Amino acid sequence: MRCPSFEHLSRRALLKGTLATGAGGSLINWGSLFNSQVIANEVKKTQKRCILLWMNGGASQFETFDMKPGRPTGGLFRPISTNLAGVQVCELMPKISQCMDKLTVIRSMRTSQVDHPGGIHLMHTGYAQAAGIRFPEIGAVIAKYLGRDGSDLPNFIKIFSHGNTGAGFLGPKYQPFSLNPEGRLPTFSTSSLKPEIESRRNSLRNFVEDIYARRHKAETVRMHREAYEAARRLQNVQSVFKIDNEWEKYRDLYGDSAFGRRCLMARRLIEEGVPFVEVGQSSYDSHADNFVWHRALVPPMEHAWAGLMADLEQRGLLEHTLVVWMGEIGRTPKVNNRSGRDHYVRSWSTALAGCGVKGGVVYGESDKDGVDVKDNPVTEGDFFATIYQALGIDPDTEHYNGVRPIPIAPFGSSVVQDVLV
Amino acid sequence: MARLTTPPLRFNMSPVWLSRRFLLIALAGVLSPAVAVHSEDSLRASIDRHISNTWKSNQLTPAEQSADAEFLRRVYLDLVGTIPTYDAAVTFLDDNSPDKRERLIDRLLDDPGFARHQAEVWDQVLFGRNPPGHGTDKRQGFQTWLREQFVANTPYDQWVKAILVAEGNTVENGAPMFFVQYRNQPEEATEAVTQKFLGVQLQCARCHDHPFEPWTQLDFFGTAAFFARLKVVDAGKKDKLTMYVIGEKNTGDILFTGPVTEQEVGKKGQPVIPKFLHGDVLVEPELPDDFKEDRNFPNGKMPPKPRFSRKDQLAEWITQPDNPYFVRAVVNRVWAQFMGRGIVHPVDNMSEANAPSHPELLNELSATMVDRKFDLKWYIRELVNSRTYQLSGHGPVEEAMPFHFERARTRPLTAEELLDTWNVATGYEAIQQTSGAKPSTDRYAPLGSGYLVRFFGTPSNGVGDFQGGLHEHLYLNNGGISKLLSSAKGGLYDHLMNSEAPWEERVDRLYVSMLTRRPTTEERKRFVAYFTAESNPRTRIGEAIWVLMTCSESRFNH
Repeated sequence: MRCPSFEHLSRRALLKGTLATGAGGSLINWGSLFNSQVIANEVKKTQKRCILLWMNGGASQFETFDMKPGRPTGGLFRPISTNLAGVQVCELMPKISQCMDKLTVIRSMRTSQVDHPGGIHLMHTGYAQAAGIRFPEIGAVIAKYLGRDGSDLPNFIKIFSHGNTGAGFLGPKYQPFSLNPEGRLPTFSTSSLKPEIESRRNSLRNFVEDIYARRHKAETVRMHREAYEAARRLQNVQSVFKIDNEWEKYRDLYGDSAFGRRCLMARRLIEEGVPFVEVGQSSYDSHADNFVWHRALVPPMEHAWAGLMADLEQRGLLEHTLVVWMGEIGRTPKVNNRSGRDHYVRSWSTALAGCGVKGGVVYGESDKDGVDVKDNPVTEGDFFATIYQALGIDPDTEHYNGVRPIPIAPFGSSVVQDVLV
Repeated sequence: MARLTTPPLRFNMSPVWLSRRFLLIALAGVLSPAVAVHSEDSLRASIDRHISNTWKSNQLTPAEQSADAEFLRRVYLDLVGTIPTYDAAVTFLDDNSPDKRERLIDRLLDDPGFARHQAEVWDQVLFGRNPPGHGTDKRQGFQTWLREQFVANTPYDQWVKAILVAEGNTVENGAPMFFVQYRNQPEEATEAVTQKFLGVQLQCARCHDHPFEPWTQLDFFGTAAFFARLKVVDAGKKDKLTMYVIGEKNTGDILFTGPVTEQEVGKKGQPVIPKFLHGDVLVEPELPDDFKEDRNFPNGKMPPKPRFSRKDQLAEWITQPDNPYFVRAVVNRVWAQFMGRGIVHPVDNMSEANAPSHPELLNELSATMVDRKFDLKWYIRELVNSRTYQLSGHGPVEEAMPFHFERARTRPLTAEELLDTWNVATGYEAIQQTSGAKPSTDRYAPLGSGYLVRFFGTPSNGVGDFQGGLHEHLYLNNGGISKLLSSAKGGLYDHLMNSEAPWEERVDRLYVSMLTRRPTTEERKRFVAYFTAESNPRTRIGEAIWVLMTCSESRFNH
């Protein structure tokens, strides 16, 4: 059998072609569409996907990517040089300082929601909260466009998640599957039945469903069955979520932290073809003792992040996997009288790496005290448009909520072309 | 029967509006309910005539009439939100009288479950699963009040007017709760009121003149001006609930600053005069020159009435019988509730760009509804007695809601309907009643609203079509509903386990209890074999009940 190159074929085109010419096997099972495991593996490898590293509470740009040494706003930590000439980052990030050739850092974020609920919503959806609309999170949008129908694993997985609108109006098919901070599965995801009992119960149910489907042709019935099948298939792949053995081997690479373990889980899921995984780390809301908090939080985070990038790269996955680093807000230039920094969205930082984005780029600049963006401001809409573009999803793609068209990146957003490959 | 004339579509003839006159005349053609009403017919016959005419002109073969069992389950779910008990089902199925369907409908319309269910349907129309907060998640006062309107069969225009006038407080009177949702948000109130009660979508005109409808930003803000002076006042507590009151100030305006894309920081807007949609501006009495308004309504006290209420003027205009939007919006919405698609679909987007599928029928329904003084119960009785409603759900059409109504629609049960269905089917409700235990005050007992609303609350893709999800099945498959599988005396499980009747009869009991129909020979055989494969059927009975609770036939009303 000849192995064609899949570089030029979109997943959709490939799927269509295979459906038209295939031997008519079960359409439910992605794997059986391919009569060669080699091809299947190749597709799995080149499929685009995304990991969101979510810094809940809002990590400080001054204690990560946008140092202001010697300025009144600079804080306690020193800058260190990186593997990118002339670019410095915070001393709390020695490992990330050596990954700067792979990162695009945006130092000119300017967003619109300064409180946590508003910011968490904004930076998960691209939109400010509105009374009548449940906007979908980025994970749901990516699940819709990069997800695989009939996959065993859910297409939108969160580990210690902080977003709160889930699939929004995209509907239950794109709801997140949320693991807790320790990586345990959500309630009701594991069958307690003995396999032989589950199996006979399932065959009785199939008998009932077949009879119903003979006379009721409405598409809703088919969709209901497919969702049931997906819930069953999840039972077959639960070993993917058990990472104890692998953790022993990777503990040093990711660093011995809860966040590191979550990042290893994310890599495993991504490798299995899950198109979107969000990994959360909490407690950046440092209104008091900002420096103490960042000293505690940033080192394990950056260790895990650097380990994740190395692991993805070593497996050939980094070029197909976009790694997004952000929280919902940045922090104030002014250090308050409790040694804290408060909420700030006029000028702050985020970072991207991997699929579709350049490495070794620092985009935008804040002014000398980090009070305002000096050039190239990036709004939340621009940021989301750039992420979608990097993943090959047209940011102008529209969904409908009732009769209202809603593009996946807000109307008027611009892709930051300078950071894309 | 009265003939309704074209309502006067009034518009301001200033040059600004003249440019839109052409559009308005076009719209008048879409909206006018002025057609001949066939007074010799019942409405149900008239519905069937209109619908079958389009079958003929489109050369469609409609589905056959529904079987008794199919009709029985469907009409129970649609009217009272649950399925019949085993006994009620057998009584109906074994009844041979020709008018049994009509009698069943009459009985269900007088059942307390009718008011309860219809109030829940409208509560969702008015609030949805995710109301914007501000205390609206605790709206028992509103829900009770709305149920009372259905118990009394208060005409629709009257109870809507009560919601819009919003007198009293949210705990004792209920109705003001609707506006509490939109506290200090006149723009949100504008979108909601026009969409829910007038069936039109103004939200695009909030930021720019609508690209292909005759709505301008001044239509939007002219309506918003009616809500600009509303304040939500906290008037104290009762039964641990906050009593909210809707106060209205004497001054305060919406400021209009032009299209959103031309907004500039610091730009001051112009105050907008209230204006009825496609109608006149509101004429307001002038306030005395020395008028001074108190700054705020203090909490804990009833706010004084304004000298002149904009809100009351709008409530009056919205609900008057010759408002062409109002009556068409409600007949279309209720039509869709029972028939699947709206004649205009989606139901809250009536506009010239979204033409009705059966314009003459919509006109006739509207005219008749005005004539019947907005009697919803009468209208629903006509709908469910029609042949169109009583068609079978079988057939080759794949659309869940067929465009020409040539087959019964398929719709997912709501979270509440699923729970109530399971409670009746498994006998859980009967067990609770005979146990003498104090009835639970939780609407969602015994499963709880958290899971039910999360997994079954909004099974839609954003534009109203069903969408399946993994999570509802994980919940069903892995133990979420096991509380209902009680083996207590009087339940279905107990009957199947301990009855001395032959297995064939027990399987019949299972099917009628769960699916409101008797099994086919094939099904009976398969289930008897399932139960008798081992000497002790204990676990297998639970499995079989689970299968029929979770299957598609249970999940949908068809």
